[in-house]
Amino acid sequence: MKKLALLLLVVLLGLLPLFVGKYTLYMTIHIMLLSLFSLGFNLLLGYTGLLSFGQAGFFAVGAYACAKILLAAPSLLLGILGGVAVAGVISLLLGLLSIRHTRIYFSMLTLCFGMMIFSLAWKWRDMTGGDDGLVGIPRAPLEVPGLFRINMTPMENYYYVVLVFTILAVYLFYRIVHSPLGLTLQGIRDSETRAACVGISVRNYRLISFTIAGLYAGLAGALLPPLESTVTPPVAHWSHSAEPVLATLLGGIYTFAGPIVGAALFYILKDIIVRFTEYWLICLGVIVLVLVMGFRGGVVSMFYGKGGQR
Amino acid sequence: MKPIIRTEDLGKYFGEMAAVHAVNLNVQQGLFTSVIGPNGAGKTTLINLLSGYLLPDTGRIFFRDTEITRWEPHRRVKIGISRSFQVMNIFPRMTVFQNILLAVLSRLNKNSNPFSSLKSQKAAVEEAEKILNEVWLWKEKDHPASQISHGDQRLLELGIAVATDPQLCFLDEPSSGMNPIERIKVLELVKKLAAERKTTFVIVEHDMDVVFSLSDRIVVMNRGKILAEGKPDEIRGNQEVRDIYLGEEI
Repeated sequence: MKKLALLLLVVLLGLLPLFVGKYTLYMTIHIMLLSLFSLGFNLLLGYTGLLSFGQAGFFAVGAYACAKILLAAPSLLLGILGGVAVAGVISLLLGLLSIRHTRIYFSMLTLCFGMMIFSLAWKWRDMTGGDDGLVGIPRAPLEVPGLFRINMTPMENYYYVVLVFTILAVYLFYRIVHSPLGLTLQGIRDSETRAACVGISVRNYRLISFTIAGLYAGLAGALLPPLESTVTPPVAHWSHSAEPVLATLLGGIYTFAGPIVGAALFYILKDIIVRFTEYWLICLGVIVLVLVMGFRGGVVSMFYGKGGQR
Repeated sequence: MKPIIRTEDLGKYFGEMAAVHAVNLNVQQGLFTSVIGPNGAGKTTLINLLSGYLLPDTGRIFFRDTEITRWEPHRRVKIGISRSFQVMNIFPRMTVFQNILLAVLSRLNKNSNPFSSLKSQKAAVEEAEKILNEVWLWKEKDHPASQISHGDQRLLELGIAVATDPQLCFLDEPSSGMNPIERIKVLELVKKLAAERKTTFVIVEHDMDVVFSLSDRIVVMNRGKILAEGKPDEIRGNQEVRDIYLGEEI
């Protein structure tokens, strides 16, 4: 039943470009990016018990790195994978410093590191273009020399690239959280001392979790510049870090699909609310507030009943 | 017989207060050892020091011939030291089965495997199921650990502690908060596990009947120091020990 629904969803997403216009495709791409961003964030929050306020920093590293690569060498695959790799390295390094602390101290540290990356994007004009950002980033063709070359100019084609990356990343994420590694992270979330006393090196596993979260943020970020053809400092801003927090709270932190459902809701609600008022964040805030106070498990857990982790 | 764990001049001080002071402890392998003493005697602090949960201010700790004084807890688990906690410490959001499985996976060094499913970890699953039976929790296996009864949670904690297959296992008041029937059940289980698994247990316990019927050796602590140690009969006859327990019949 669950598998059938999933298959249906994938088919639907696969056929989407046949039925809808550019705007809906553009929105769907953004939903997929926020889904990846939020999934990574939730590996930290829902599975490891660490609330990061700095994930936009890694998103930005992925985005800027991808943009720089595309500006220098127009190959989509190179740009995306390069962006992910750089984000992974940076999150590993900052993770080493951040995971020494937990709870509010961890949150504040990640907020600081995120804003440091924002300052770099803002001030390091030679590298990042400062407040103008990087512009004119080509949506380079998807190409493996000697094998194939697909033109990315039509939005539909890029949509499929994002869809494939998203499906792969979501599948991988599913494997991770249902593996011994996933169980270990949940153990650390539930009781750090107990986990240490069954022989788990809490710090190492937190670092692994932090790095994976950074890789997912980096992937979401790296998929952005080819879509928008610009990258500007606000992608690194702390208010951007709040998006996966809101999406995850909307969808539910203790469910696998929560961040994905939340990401979709986030954009759908935003799209509806901005038709009536530019203060859409206030309305969204109220909705999240009601959800958090009324249904602590988020939207997804309403369908599963209490306490079920899927 | 060789000691499985021993300390030299071990001390831990919280400000002016000596929680543990100049303790030279020798725990013999295979002897069921109990640590007793009035409240605030330093029993839990001692266990925290031995399991790595706290670091000592003075002295040294040896596990067999290896000095482990400043080792982190997870490293101590890997060489065969395990523990349970005085205040319930389980993984509440996970199922009972997952609680045990996690400890078994840790022992088999499979924690970092990121892609295989839990079911495919056949060796670990089998062992976890065996332990679930050993601690009488088979029926509760798929319940979230937070939702089983208090007594069962204590059994679960014991299960987690032995799932790392320790040579030495500290139990800090394994029967606290239980009714007398559950209490006997748990302590019988500990005894059974000690016999079957060849694990050396060191327990902190308040119920004197239990302590004297179960232990091969008793260590009495008072105000951070070891007041007396010996066989149950020797302790029973010790005047100083009687004095700190206010002349109670022990």
